Amino acid sequence: MDLSSLQALAANNDWTAIFPELLLGCLALVLLGLEIVLPRDLHRHLPVVALLGVLAILPSQIISFTVGFVEGESFNGLLYHSREGQLMRVFFLLSALLTGVLGTVSLAKQKVAHTEFYHILLVVTAAMMLLVQSNHFVMLFVALETVTIGLYVLVGYFRTSPYSLEAGLKYLILGALSSAILLFGIALLYGVAGNPALPGHTGAAMNFDALRNFLAHNPHHFLASVGIVLVLAGVAFKIAAFPFQIWVPDVYQGAPTPVTAFLAVASKGAGFLVLLILARTFAPCAWLLAPVLTLMAGATILFGSLAALTQHNVKRLMGLSGVTHAGFLLLGVVAAGTQAMAVGAIYFYLFAYLLASFAVFGVMAQVAGANDADQELSHYAGLAKDRPFLALVLAIGLGSLAGIPPLAGFMGKLFIFIAAFKAGLYGLLAVAVVGVVISIYYYFSWIRAAFFASGIPPEGDTPARPALPPVGFMAGLVLGLLAFATVLLGFYQGVLGQWLAPR
Amino acid sequence: MIAATLNEYVILSVVLFAIGFFGVLLRRNTLVIFMCLELMLIASTLALVAFSRFNRTQDGNTFVFFILTVAAAEVAVGLALIVALFRSRRTVQVDELNALKH
Repeated sequence: MDLSSLQALAANNDWTAIFPELLLGCLALVLLGLEIVLPRDLHRHLPVVALLGVLAILPSQIISFTVGFVEGESFNGLLYHSREGQLMRVFFLLSALLTGVLGTVSLAKQKVAHTEFYHILLVVTAAMMLLVQSNHFVMLFVALETVTIGLYVLVGYFRTSPYSLEAGLKYLILGALSSAILLFGIALLYGVAGNPALPGHTGAAMNFDALRNFLAHNPHHFLASVGIVLVLAGVAFKIAAFPFQIWVPDVYQGAPTPVTAFLAVASKGAGFLVLLILARTFAPCAWLLAPVLTLMAGATILFGSLAALTQHNVKRLMGLSGVTHAGFLLLGVVAAGTQAMAVGAIYFYLFAYLLASFAVFGVMAQVAGANDADQELSHYAGLAKDRPFLALVLAIGLGSLAGIPPLAGFMGKLFIFIAAFKAGLYGLLAVAVVGVVISIYYYFSWIRAAFFASGIPPEGDTPARPALPPVGFMAGLVLGLLAFATVLLGFYQGVLGQWLAPR
Repeated sequence: MIAATLNEYVILSVVLFAIGFFGVLLRRNTLVIFMCLELMLIASTLALVAFSRFNRTQDGNTFVFFILTVAAAEVAVGLALIVALFRSRRTVQVDELNALKH
């Protein structure tokens, strides 16, 4: 390898293509720098700097969506920039922004450092944006690990609370286990696809296009199938699909509320995008892919619904109902194998889920007391009387998650179900409808607690709700906007709806 | 000296992976679980290097550097969490870390 060939390789490094990620990384470093330079009494403004920075990157991203955006590979095939990738960049930036706003509410109730939270949040967001554009297993693995290692720290961020630390450790062990499984699957696929004795073997087996080409020549190779199953198992951990969802309740309960929201929305969204990319790569092995994903989708929906029924802690409830949502999205992934519109439906569902989830988690961050892990359904008794605004936002968010028309969540479910119907997945659809009915039951028991239960405990030993601080201006504005957007997106799909048109 | 074949390398890496996997599932001490996790990563590394050598492709060798870096970061975060947890709970046994229950 001489100098000129290196120069030729470097010429393909299109740095402008990853401009938003670079900006986020710089912003994260600037935060740390400012913390050193600024006097201590100005540190409380640093979260605002982080939020304003993300807010500034967000519109530039929406502009580059339409003007001057590169479609195709860059960095010698490490990244592939697509319209979907652009949309997901907006998704992750929005998630980071909303998580940051929730962070200002939740961190104020704890004695912890603030700046590092935003620093790690920004780095993880940048890694997620790279992750969904990766086109190469090295890129995929490094970006995925940047995301998960950052999340280990964020989950254990309230380090004075044993709950948060325990959740961090549990997430670390199971997350590392899933990464190792994924990595072994990659190693097997790489080894098989590079084997010179097989037809269609390739020197660049880590590249998704080369790998798909190889799989098209050998769709029934045994070791390749094992590799595919291992890679899918690793991704299933990240999206919390059955049978890899065991970490969800404990980690969701112990993690700080903003991090729980980030895990539920952004991490799951990233996982599904990776799954979509991999499903496209493994498409020649549909004989293996379709039954595995179908079984996983059905079991995930049923398990999530049934397990959520018995929960009293709202964070665990959100976690297990999130498993059900992962099942609905998996239904979309299965349908995407034959129906192009299912991909658009998945994106719409993700955005509706983002709006509704952050509305609910925002209310949870307001209601939570000093012990962030202790958020019971009974704490919501009488919320409608004390804080009618919070109760209204909660009702809209939960209604959208349950899929009540005309809210955005209903449209999301409808699009996914239409795609599944067109793909002929009648059995899975029946399971999904059962899941929806059960989810309406447990979401409404929460709404009932907020609206119809009295705030006075019937007996002295029931834990009383922690004192409610007044809702801050920024948090109130964001919650109102989220609820408004949830209602609006149910009536009018607009720009997002255009993505549903099959291309 | 008899040179090992590709099959032997792959079988060795599968055995290492299996030891690590079952160790994570069965052992009760967090530190031992951590070692098993590292063993699983090492198994993948061995497989990648062996495939890279016998298939005469370069990507596998390069990937190993990234895996080592990632593993180091993971251990740094993991040990920090274990130390912090040990300070507040005085135990590293998985069975006794069960404060999070409904």
